[in-house]
Amino acid sequence: MKSEALIVTGPGLEMDTMFVNLGPQHPSTHGVLRLGLTLAGEVITKAFPDIGYLHRGTEKLMEARNYHQCVILTDRWDYCSAMPNNLAFCLSAEKLMAVAIPPRAQALRVIMCELNRIASHLIFLGTYGIDIGAFTPFLYAFREREMILDLYEKCCGARLTYNYIRLGGVAADIDSDWVAKCREFLEYFKPRLDEYDTLLSFNPIFLARTQEVGLIPKEAAVGWGLSGPNLRGSGVSYDVRKSEPYCGYEAYDFDVPVGTHGSCWDRYFCRVQEMRQSVRILEAALTKLPSGELMAKGLAKVPRPPAGEAYAHVEASRGDLGIYLVSDGGVAPYRIHVRAPCFINLAILQEILIGKKVADVIAVLGSFDIVLGEVDR
Amino acid sequence: MNPLAGADAVARLLAAVPKAEIASSPVKDYPTIRLAAPADLLLAARLLKGDLGFMYLEMVTAVDWLGPVNLGGFVCGGNSNPLSRKPAAPPVSPVPGPGVSYRPMLDLLWSFGNLGENRKIFLRLELPRDRAEVPSLTSLFAAADWQEREAFDLFGIRFTGHPNLIKILTPDFLQGHPLRKDYVHAKDRYDEE
Amino acid sequence: MGIILDKFPLIAKAIPGGQVVLTSTDYIIDLGRKYSLWPLTFGLACCAIEMMVAYAGRFDFDRFGVIPRPSPRQADLLLIAGTVTKKMAAPIVDIYHQMPEPRFVMAMGSCANCGGPFYDSYSVVKGIDRIIPVDVYIPGCPPRPEALIYGVMELQKKIMRMKLERGGGATVQAEKGSRDPAGEDA
Repeated sequence: MKSEALIVTGPGLEMDTMFVNLGPQHPSTHGVLRLGLTLAGEVITKAFPDIGYLHRGTEKLMEARNYHQCVILTDRWDYCSAMPNNLAFCLSAEKLMAVAIPPRAQALRVIMCELNRIASHLIFLGTYGIDIGAFTPFLYAFREREMILDLYEKCCGARLTYNYIRLGGVAADIDSDWVAKCREFLEYFKPRLDEYDTLLSFNPIFLARTQEVGLIPKEAAVGWGLSGPNLRGSGVSYDVRKSEPYCGYEAYDFDVPVGTHGSCWDRYFCRVQEMRQSVRILEAALTKLPSGELMAKGLAKVPRPPAGEAYAHVEASRGDLGIYLVSDGGVAPYRIHVRAPCFINLAILQEILIGKKVADVIAVLGSFDIVLGEVDR
Repeated sequence: MNPLAGADAVARLLAAVPKAEIASSPVKDYPTIRLAAPADLLLAARLLKGDLGFMYLEMVTAVDWLGPVNLGGFVCGGNSNPLSRKPAAPPVSPVPGPGVSYRPMLDLLWSFGNLGENRKIFLRLELPRDRAEVPSLTSLFAAADWQEREAFDLFGIRFTGHPNLIKILTPDFLQGHPLRKDYVHAKDRYDEE
Repeated sequence: MGIILDKFPLIAKAIPGGQVVLTSTDYIIDLGRKYSLWPLTFGLACCAIEMMVAYAGRFDFDRFGVIPRPSPRQADLLLIAGTVTKKMAAPIVDIYHQMPEPRFVMAMGSCANCGGPFYDSYSVVKGIDRIIPVDVYIPGCPPRPEALIYGVMELQKKIMRMKLERGGGATVQAEKGSRDPAGEDA
């Protein structure tokens, strides 16, 4: 969509730019993001995202916590999908300690992460609808999400912050009743995805507001370091589950959906299609769920990984979540760095908003599906 | 990922960058190269991006090797909740494990990815804590922008040539760089007196 | 409305037996306030997701007359759902002062109560009551939507104890002895 500033000239008609402050309290910033926008008429000439309003200093706090306590803090980064956060941290520590994870725990990790991907994308679907002006999808998406949360609650007792994936395995087992309930949910969920397509994905108003907006070319997406559905929406097929499989993802058959030209709608539709793939993975994982131990043997109660450095990354719901862990052989990690996908995805905003109409800001911002807990950590 | 997959990239990098060597403390399972001087960084990054196809700057971060973290950087106690107990001393050991030497150095780490060939390479560079200055990669990788600002904010590393090197995460009134090991928190108006 | 709130108690007390009128008026006004608590759509962190769930179909906050408003000027309940950082503290005080009186504050979750899992962080305010007065504290990390609903019901009980005579909205906070903001704009 071409948009140019309307320049009016003449005596007494000098144009002035206007500064608009969006946030930190704004219903559509998905938390506490602040955006400073300079406008010429309706067109944005300058945009600077201001973050840090949810900076809790977890990287520092982890230096004074033992490894099991750190897992609790990881839950609070990307609180819409906490399981992959647990997983990324545990993988990095397990890499240092060279622990072998039992197959049942591996499968449970995959099941929980994929369920969480669906739950997280459902939040996106609902809130993006609200951002664009459609309230109804929110109610539908949260109805399905509640079913996933019920499954979580049945298994590990928490709805949002699970602390389920632990060093060396997982915390709790699932029984045949849980598996049956999960299958029931998947059967219920598959037709709902088609329902969303008729309700929102191919809704003419929704298409008009998103299909030509917020275009990110391939080169820019790679250059700015985008990851997850935001990168794949621009046509780059990069998925950590395929490129560096962890937890036995190589054994599951699934596709990586990619978009064509990187518009808001492409990013949106990548997520919708990812939910279908997650359903596929879940069905396969539930079918061949191995039996056995949940925790690796021979792990100390208070783990002290040997001195060294490890980097582990997973495909979280929002992108490539990496943990760089340095251990000096002590009880607490010496240093933890989080490669937070939302933080890096958000940086491109200052470039792509320029030249857009102010009315498109929310459409573009919403399509990145940011969680401020992870942006600021 | 097979760590040997990037062997030719590592060899070309070692040949082109003077005094670069395979790091003695690598990131486990990944090829890690230690640069000798800050001036080599741009050379290495240009080679990685231009010739070797590492277009994806994945991570910019640092480690402060000064020693165990100073507990003054944590704001404990003074909690007005009568039910909360004072937390026990955090588990910080003053003695490093085998193979770790504490030194007044900042260890910077960059991670580059080649998405097409599915490879990853880590560069690292050691800088003295009081003169931590290194060229910015923003001219080559847009992704460096915020990550360098983060490293500046939390570690106080100056990236020369960065167009907008200002605080990003911490509030304006916060003094110092919290992720430095000797960071001591100065009480501000929101802390209990 | 201003005349009723400010002058009516004085007039009523001057008339013999006016207390009876005053009590019934209190009851009607409190009833109105109780069943139309309009919170600000203001999510800070993890708890905001549970807050959104409470608005959605399953828990249906609308039953209690709780309808989210996007602007602080239309809201009378400030739900602090999440971690309050030092950078966010000043905007929160601004928002609080933009809300018309009587205004109520609920601290949802451990972070807003006392700092929660970030109790020793250098950038977290250890409890929202250090900067604005709080009416109801909801424990949990994050609290379940049921807990949030229970918190609203407790607030409704508290609202029913409000009396015009004691000066409109500010009473609820004064009664509980919560701390005043440290200076008007802390």
